[in-house]
Amino acid sequence: MMVCAVVSARISPNFIEKIHSVRLIPHVARALDLNVVANFISRACTCLPGTIVAESGDLYNLEIWRVKSILGRDFKYPETIAERTAIEMAHHTSVAGRRLIIDAREDDTNE
Amino acid sequence: MHAKMIPMNEEKTAVLLIRENPIKSPDPYKIKELRGLADAAGYRVLAEVFQRRSRDFRFQMGRVKIEQALSYNPEKLIFYNALSPNQVFNIRSEFSAQVLDRFNLILEIFSTRASTREAKLQVELAKLSYDAPQVKSALALKKRGEQPGFRGAGAYEQSMYHDIRGRMSKIKAELADVENMGEDRRQRRREQGFDLVALAGYTNAGKSTLLNSLTGSEVEAKDQPFTTLSPTTRALEVLGRKVLLTDTVGFIDDLPHFLIKAFRSTLSEISEADLVLLVADISDPPELLRRKLAASHKALYDCEVKAPIVTVLNKADRLEEGKAEELVELIRDLAPYPVLASAITRQGLGVLEECIAQRLQPLQEYKISLPYTAEGLRELSRLYETTELLSVSYEEELIVRLRGKEETVARAGLSGARRL
Repeated sequence: MMVCAVVSARISPNFIEKIHSVRLIPHVARALDLNVVANFISRACTCLPGTIVAESGDLYNLEIWRVKSILGRDFKYPETIAERTAIEMAHHTSVAGRRLIIDAREDDTNE
Repeated sequence: MHAKMIPMNEEKTAVLLIRENPIKSPDPYKIKELRGLADAAGYRVLAEVFQRRSRDFRFQMGRVKIEQALSYNPEKLIFYNALSPNQVFNIRSEFSAQVLDRFNLILEIFSTRASTREAKLQVELAKLSYDAPQVKSALALKKRGEQPGFRGAGAYEQSMYHDIRGRMSKIKAELADVENMGEDRRQRRREQGFDLVALAGYTNAGKSTLLNSLTGSEVEAKDQPFTTLSPTTRALEVLGRKVLLTDTVGFIDDLPHFLIKAFRSTLSEISEADLVLLVADISDPPELLRRKLAASHKALYDCEVKAPIVTVLNKADRLEEGKAEELVELIRDLAPYPVLASAITRQGLGVLEECIAQRLQPLQEYKISLPYTAEGLRELSRLYETTELLSVSYEEELIVRLRGKEETVARAGLSGARRL
């Protein structure tokens, strides 16, 4: 069970100026590989304009040009304080979201 | 018994080794940076050895490349890539060579430059944080295959790891005291009406030279990495605002997290500042400049900086005319409020001072009353020095209208002042 959190925001170099939307997409997969992650990110970012920013570890430390060609979107790894803050926010959201979904499932099973 | 006498002024020699990842484009700046660090540590570089291959688990690089490096008879082999405890153990035992990686080289520079008690403790903590897992791993390697009892590792070796952890705890406690003292000092300075501005940025960007130019002081500034280790503070008046400018240790790319943690008390001067001046060397090639700014942003993020940032693009005098605007455009996403300046020629320092005054939190107006007591009058005299007094009326109580910092007015509350 995986959850991808997307924070769509307008940023300046050191501050998040405005958060447009936060999106949580759950996904169930038997195994994890680059294709699964790339499809998951593409699906989560559908209809959201702008550059995708993600942690390098999430995309197996691939070079940016390779990730761009896989996703077919403008992409970069975080560089500024604001980009890192936005990623931190998405990370907290995904962890909390995943926990909520799992708790809800456990409750359903118990009932 | 044969002992080799080493003269005190004998030059240290080293060979630099870099392994590049075959799936990534080669990076010419890595070797430049490593050479600069080796020079700063006092090593004469005999040769540079490159290899493009995936990581060798035993020696980091291929055996032949290490033999090639050793053919120059260097005192030490300096690797750009981080060495694992096993790799250090293997290279030492297989080739009888002294090795250093980039991180240890930085620590060596730090330990030779550390002059204050705080800096010495921070360097020792960083060293021990690095050594602790290495010692643990070395002990495990030594004990591999041994018999319990008579042939086991000695008590001294066994306790070494625990001694390191104990010493680390002591240093951390001492540094926590230093950090608390720093916090009290910053609070006192704010109460005295000062705004705290910190100079941060990549190493050798010209932070100390900028401090000297802005404040007219003579802090040690050299064209080499890590000249400054301990924070240095100087007073400055910027368009009517009293400012304390603090020079701090420079950042470098790929710093391990524990090194930043070890230097927390120094870096708190940046994280607790009212404004951060992020200094960058604009004469660097654009790609390198972007990378250094990104590394600085990462370090500032790790320090949890919440203050506004002004980017000082230093060494602008080295640029050709008309090139500066182009460069500023290239780094706009990484450089908040960019100001072109040159600490040596003093170009752009006026604009920088205006920018500092603009970005500092504006002073608020307050109306307070003070009692007609000796303490109240003493407080009034203090407010004359630390704030901008707009009016004083002598009624049943002293009614004072002033413009100043929140902390200064809060301090006046201790002497019986009331806000109106």
